[in-house]
Amino acid sequence: METIRNYLEAMFANMPNTPAAQKAKRELYQMMEDKYSELIKDGKSENEAVGTVISEFGNLEELSEDLGLKEEYQQVQKYTESHQRRHITLEEAKRYLLDQGRHALFIAAGVFLCCSCVVPVILEENYGWFGMMLMIVTAVCLFCYSSFMQNKWNFMKNSLCSIDYQTATFLQQQLEEKRPNLAVKKTLGIVICIICWIPCALLDMVFGESPLMDRLEPISLFLLVAIGVFLIVWSNIMLGSYKRLLNLNDKNTISGSYVPEQEEDRYVNDTVAVIMSVYWPTVTSIYLIWSFLSFQWHLTWIIWPIAAIICSVIKNNLKINR
Amino acid sequence: MNTITSDVIRGYHDTMILFILTSGPSYGYEISKRIREVSDGKYVIKETTLYSAFARMEKNGYIESFISTPQDSGNSKKRTYYHITEAGRRYYEEKCREWILTKDVIEHFIGKGENHGNH
Repeated sequence: METIRNYLEAMFANMPNTPAAQKAKRELYQMMEDKYSELIKDGKSENEAVGTVISEFGNLEELSEDLGLKEEYQQVQKYTESHQRRHITLEEAKRYLLDQGRHALFIAAGVFLCCSCVVPVILEENYGWFGMMLMIVTAVCLFCYSSFMQNKWNFMKNSLCSIDYQTATFLQQQLEEKRPNLAVKKTLGIVICIICWIPCALLDMVFGESPLMDRLEPISLFLLVAIGVFLIVWSNIMLGSYKRLLNLNDKNTISGSYVPEQEEDRYVNDTVAVIMSVYWPTVTSIYLIWSFLSFQWHLTWIIWPIAAIICSVIKNNLKINR
Repeated sequence: MNTITSDVIRGYHDTMILFILTSGPSYGYEISKRIREVSDGKYVIKETTLYSAFARMEKNGYIESFISTPQDSGNSKKRTYYHITEAGRRYYEEKCREWILTKDVIEHFIGKGENHGNH
């Protein structure tokens, strides 16, 4: 049955992603499934059954005509021919994920070293600079090595690529397995960044002023920030690698909707879509600029709840529901 | 063994499907199975052809679809069932008359003496 599913999805991969085409795919799958189970019940081997079902499938050209999709079908066909996509196999996808896992760890480690590079200076004022330099150099080496190793995957950014149904479902499954783990890492990272000042304040409260505490306090602060950022960067790169693979397919074809993860929010027009894509970075910039210019941090936070309300209003009114 | 070229039969897929549906509502695979049985295994309709015909005839109002679970078999699989409408019945009768005429006309051009094995 797996083979039949893959065959059907491959046939439909370049069909326009419309409700009519989706329905046709579902109905055809139902018929093929019925035929397959009957053949198996009649004592046919799996290979024979699959062979029969596939040979009696027909072709999609006449179908698209009767679905009223002829024009879209031809458009998509023409586009697909003029924009050849490099097919990424399941093996390649697995290797990419493995590479990305290492890449994520290297980059996160580099960022960790950068965030905590002042620690040696705080510990020892005279020779600490060497420690700082060493950490920065190590970080730069990690960045360079890692991006150099990443070069072989550059084609995914520079050219159009595609994945098949089997790969998409595999990725979706993997992502679902990893998701709790990644979510915990990211949440922990954010929490650590938020509470990073607490040990510092506690030490100050309990022990008061002392030469040792004056050093331990900033060290605890920088180390916690470094750990928090490490976790956030690590989990974000991992998540990003799955998203990148899943978003390779053309969104206008059925292949762009194999798994729910591929679906993006769609808005009524392109202007809204552009605005929404820069919405949160813009809000963050406004918040920071306003805060630093006015230094009224006790007031500026109000921008977040307001922005959240505006965001949900836009999403509820201008998003296309499917 | 002779096979039927798709050009010849294309105009009569609707007739075949409507005939099956005159004896009650049915779903995709069952219809294709019945077509094979009724034609003594001489004609197997392709899945895409069948679904094309459904989409076309539903648009023209000859058939209507509804979602149902088959009662006879134990499983609870939901299937799209089709049933014939009044317009569908009229269209079927019209196609039957057309075929009788077509057959009559074509018959005159078939050399009877030379190919008997091949009716």
